[in-house]
Order: sequence, then C-alpha cells, then structure tokens
Amino acid sequence: MHSHINKFMETARKELKNEQSQMFLMMVALGAPILRQIGMSSFPDITAAESYSRAIRADAIARLPELLEEFEKNAESKGAKVLWAKDAAEANKIILDIANCGGVSYVMKGKSMITEEIGLNDHLIKNGVEVFETDLGEVITQNLNLHPFHLVGPAINVPPGEISEVFLKKGIIKKASTDPVELGSGARRYLRDKFRNLQMGIVGVNMAVAETGTIINVENEGNIRLIKSSPKTLVAIMSLEKVVPTIKDAIYMTRMLTRNCTGQKITSYMTMDTGPKKPEEQDGPEELFIIILDNGRSEIYRDFKTREILKCIRCGACLNTCPVYTKIGGYPYGATYCGPVGQVLTPMLAGIESTADLYRACTLCGMCKQICPAGIDHPSLLLSYRARQIDIKNQKGKKTMQSRRENAMAGLISLGMSHGWLWNFGLKITRPLMNSLAKDGYIASIPMGAQGWFGCRDLRAIPAKTFHETWNDLPSLPESSGNTSKKEDS
Amino acid sequence: MPAKEEILGRLKSATKRQNIDRPAKPTLSEITLNRQQMIRRLESELSMRAGVLYQARDKEDALRILLDIITAEGLKSFVASSEKIHGVDIASFGSQKGLSVTIPKDLANRDSLRDAAFAADAGITSADFAVAETGTIGIIFNHNHPRLLSIAPPLHIAIMSVKDLYPVYENVMEIVFKNTKEIPSQFSFITGPSATSDIQGTEFKGMHGPKKVFVIMIMDG
Repeated sequence: MHSHINKFMETARKELKNEQSQMFLMMVALGAPILRQIGMSSFPDITAAESYSRAIRADAIARLPELLEEFEKNAESKGAKVLWAKDAAEANKIILDIANCGGVSYVMKGKSMITEEIGLNDHLIKNGVEVFETDLGEVITQNLNLHPFHLVGPAINVPPGEISEVFLKKGIIKKASTDPVELGSGARRYLRDKFRNLQMGIVGVNMAVAETGTIINVENEGNIRLIKSSPKTLVAIMSLEKVVPTIKDAIYMTRMLTRNCTGQKITSYMTMDTGPKKPEEQDGPEELFIIILDNGRSEIYRDFKTREILKCIRCGACLNTCPVYTKIGGYPYGATYCGPVGQVLTPMLAGIESTADLYRACTLCGMCKQICPAGIDHPSLLLSYRARQIDIKNQKGKKTMQSRRENAMAGLISLGMSHGWLWNFGLKITRPLMNSLAKDGYIASIPMGAQGWFGCRDLRAIPAKTFHETWNDLPSLPESSGNTSKKEDS
Repeated sequence: MPAKEEILGRLKSATKRQNIDRPAKPTLSEITLNRQQMIRRLESELSMRAGVLYQARDKEDALRILLDIITAEGLKSFVASSEKIHGVDIASFGSQKGLSVTIPKDLANRDSLRDAAFAADAGITSADFAVAETGTIGIIFNHNHPRLLSIAPPLHIAIMSVKDLYPVYENVMEIVFKNTKEIPSQFSFITGPSATSDIQGTEFKGMHGPKKVFVIMIMDG
C-alpha cells in the first residue's frame, strides 16, 4: 500500500462527491460523539477522569527511555525475546527472518496500524510468505487494496456489494450476498481452518506495561485471542511510545481507550500476555518476540514540541469530532493515519516538505485537543508545522518565495495597523481596485495569490463607503434612548 | 551501532522534562457497591452485551442450568477446562447424558487440543473472577486452563463462584499481578460474545470467537 499524501486536495474533492462516504461520515459525526458521551458518563467526574489519563500519558512519555528499559528487562525475565528495530526495513527483516526460521508458509495478523505503517504485508508476500489479515475490516481493506477509511473501522464505508464481489473472487464466500452478517460469517468460515493450523501469528500492542513486562491487546472480534493462543510462534510489534508505567495505569487507560474509541465501556476482550506460555501449558506461543520499533519516533522525541505526539493511544476520537475529517473521510490523508492524529504524525514521519496539505487542512477549531484522552494539543502542533514550513530554506540557503511573500505581507499589515492614517489611506485605494474585479456584485479571484481562499468561495463586492463613513453620514440621533422611550410612552 | 543502543541513546540525549505530578486517581462509583448491587450490575451490564448470567443456588442447580442451555442450544460436544469446575462434575454429567466431553489433560499434544477446541460445539470453563463494573469475567490461563477453550468453540459457558465477584478491574488486577514471580502467561477479561461492526456499522455476534456467552454463578460458594 503506497502513500499518496500529495493527492490530498484531489482525493478530498472526490470524496466530497462520494455519496457512500458522505453518508457514513454523517453517521460518524452524529453517532460517535454521542456513544462516547454515553460511555464517559459512567465516570462520576469526567473531567477528573480525563485529567488522570492525560497525566498517565504525560508521565509515560516523560520517562520513556527508563520505562522502555524496565519493560524490556521484565519481559525478558518472563521469557519473551525483545528486539529493537530502527526503521521499517529492520522490523520487516526481523519478522521475515522469524517466519523463514520457522519455515511457515503463511502468517495471520491482528489489527495493527504499525504493520501498515511499515508495509509489512508487502514485504512478507514479496518474499513468499502469505499474509492473512483477520480483523474483518482489514480483511476487506487488504483484499480491495484500500487505505483505512477510519482508524477503528477501516472499511466501514465500503458498500456490501463491493465486498461481496471481492470475497467471491478470492473464494472467501461461495454465493454473492449484500448482507453484512453473511459476509462476516463467510470470513469466519474462511479463516477458521487457518487459525486451527496457524504456525505463526503477528499482533500489534495497545499497551506495554513496564512494571510487569506485559503486553495488552483490546479487541472485539476474538481474532487476536486466537492468534495469541493457537500458533507456536507469536510476534508482537509495538512502536516505542506504547509503554505505560504500571498495570493499574494500563487498566485506567483502557477504560479511556475503549470509551473514546467505540463508546464501549470495555471491548469484548482485553488480553494481557506476560512472556510466552509456560512449559507445562498446552497452548499459547512457545516463543514470544516483542519488537520495539522506532521508525522516526526517537527524533520526534528529541523535540520538546513534537514529543507530545507520542502520547497518542490511537483511539480515533479526534477523527469523529473533526470538522474536516467528518467531511472528507480517511482517504485524502493518504497514509496509515488519518484525521487529526494523521495530521500531526504523518508530517513528522514523512517530512514537513511533502505534507503541507495535511497540516494546512485544519480550521484550528480545537475539538481534537478538547476531546483527546491523551492530552495532545493538535492545533498548536499544526501551527508549529506551518511555521516550520515557512522557515525552510531552499538549496542555496535562501528563504523560499512563499516565505518572503508571507514576510512582506505581514510587514505591510503590521505597518498599516500601527498607523491609523495609513490604514485608512490603504483602504481608500484598495477598495476601488478590488471592486474593479467584481462581476455581478461578486469578486471571484484576485491577481497575486489567495487562490486557496477563492477556490471554493466568492467575495461580495466591497461597499463604496466604510462603516465609519456610513455612520458619520447618518442624520444625528436623539440624545439618549431613555428619552426616546419616554416619548413613546406618553 | 545496534538498534537498541542507538534508539535509547537518542531518547536519553533528549532534554529531560521534570517528572509529571499526577492528580489523585479519581474514585470510581462502583467501588461502593455491595454484593447484591454487584450482582445486579453484573447481570445488567452483561445482558447489554448479549451475554447471559445465571445464578445457581448450588452445584446441582448449576447442572440443571447447564442442561437447560445444552437442550436449548442443541449442543452435543464440549471441551471442558477440567472434569470438575468449581465442584460441578462436568465429566460424569456428560457421560450420564451421553454427551462428548473432552478434557485437555487427556489430550496428547497441542495439535489434538487445537482439533478438539475448533471442533467442539461449546467450551465449558471456569472463570476466576467477575467484575461488576462492566459485566466482565476474568480468566487466568495456565496448565489447568488452555486458552483456546473459551475462544475457538462457537459457544462459551463459564462457571464461577459468587465469591470471586468484585466491583472494579483494579480489585482483580491486584490479585492476578500481586506476585511478580507468578504472573500468568496470559490473563483475559471477557465481556460477552465476540462481535464486530466492521461492515456498514452493522453489529453481529460471533465474528471469530463465541456467538454466545453464558455465565453460571454459583451462589453458595
């Protein structure tokens, strides 16, 4: 799955006209925040609960290196093998080596964003290991070769007809159907034998507990539990920020994660693995590999400002409340992570230069920040990216054209605003100039920029007089309103 | 440089921020529930998630309930975590009623366990805990209790004692993770059956795990 971050505008325009997407986005925008609110209302004090979960994440990130070392030590003392990977290539190589070492012909995967980020499926398939996604949404996105539409329901928007077609083609179902239950049951039947014979499974990690070396997964479908039970070899891959200090922190964060994610007070399954199976146990992995992946995050950590991105627990609440995401859906973001979380994370992973559309597609309304159970200030991060982009120097070390133009504009406005006569004078000459561009009372574009603004709206022609001028021209009013009402009374 | 040293080196070289002062942990309303309230809460939360709670007066009552479930669901073959679960004699009950009951201890290896678990109509297991907060049961997986029994068969029947009912997760975590040397290789909280809403937001049960979950709570424990 290749990223196409550079097609943000194009894809967004297409999605705005896609009725299927629009219907689901409306459902998400209306329904998800209500479900979340119902879930949160079980806390006696919602604000206190949010402050506490934010403090857990802040604490975990403040002590990240120590907690990772503690986690590694404890996980290894329980028999897990902890491996570190600098980047996608290293992580992919480690996993392929484990698969080759075990001589497996296929692996099954639990829902995991991190394996999507590193392109694990492509790497394994290219090297002769078949990969079966098992989360129903990911079975669909894998077979249709789609990016996730939503962090939590990656294929929630795909019409059943399309699913039926591809399921038939791949032999997942025998008879066409547009019934979601039929399609789901088909996937269950198709994957069951594969679970039964599975030799190696791969899962992500929702939380890694430093004090015990435990990895935690939350899920509703049961695919992750099957993957953690049936095969002899289990690989759990986590990005390095997944660590939390204590097992009680993990439980508290899970309360917040599931409520913010689906509105559920708890998912069907919350599974805590500490080391591989013990020798006398009859199932569970004989070997448990835990891969701690960096992939750019230690760089993100070095910067005080961007460090807070790492607090994210991938609940997806920011998507459901974002006025941009709930209009355009997940595809325009062009990468693994969509919505506000993608807007703050992807530019750091893929580079500020190539991702301007992501951090500019924001109204700075602040809903994501307000709702975030991890305490991330998305708007301020996006503003800092915008500032960084303007400061990027070109190859000769000179400021870019855009940078110089914005500087000049800001200088001009500052000059005008600090001299009243200059401001008024400026308006006097600008108004007729602007109005000379008007057609039928509207200005549709101006030379020299602002195409973005005019791209989707027109400006009404500017009245000949300013408000002040109009005010001064009014016939003088009676002394005070008190007098007026007395007159009316009498 | 090896990956670990490089990554940790970069993290450690970053400017430290002073440690975070956490606010006091907010209290949960559930911790004040008495036993009756816990039972009611367990039942209502579980039924909201399409799970069913039965209260059995004693072991004999538990067998009657089990028979009711088996008859209603038309079940013929089981995997059970042990012959006796909380004193309920599943093995002799099975042979009395002519049902096939497989006990993992009798199985030769991992593969035969997988065969049995994926082929059975239902898994009958013990539950080590229940949490009133969300209608959840907790299971410690170990040599007496394989993992697949409660996730591979299409139906899960859990037998537990009312003594093991607690208000919130933390009560259970304190017990399970108390001794760092004896942490189970796997511990699971299970709340109702397996479910998904991944197609069109249409929810249905039994995506990969059980379609139905029954909890039999023995009250004389």
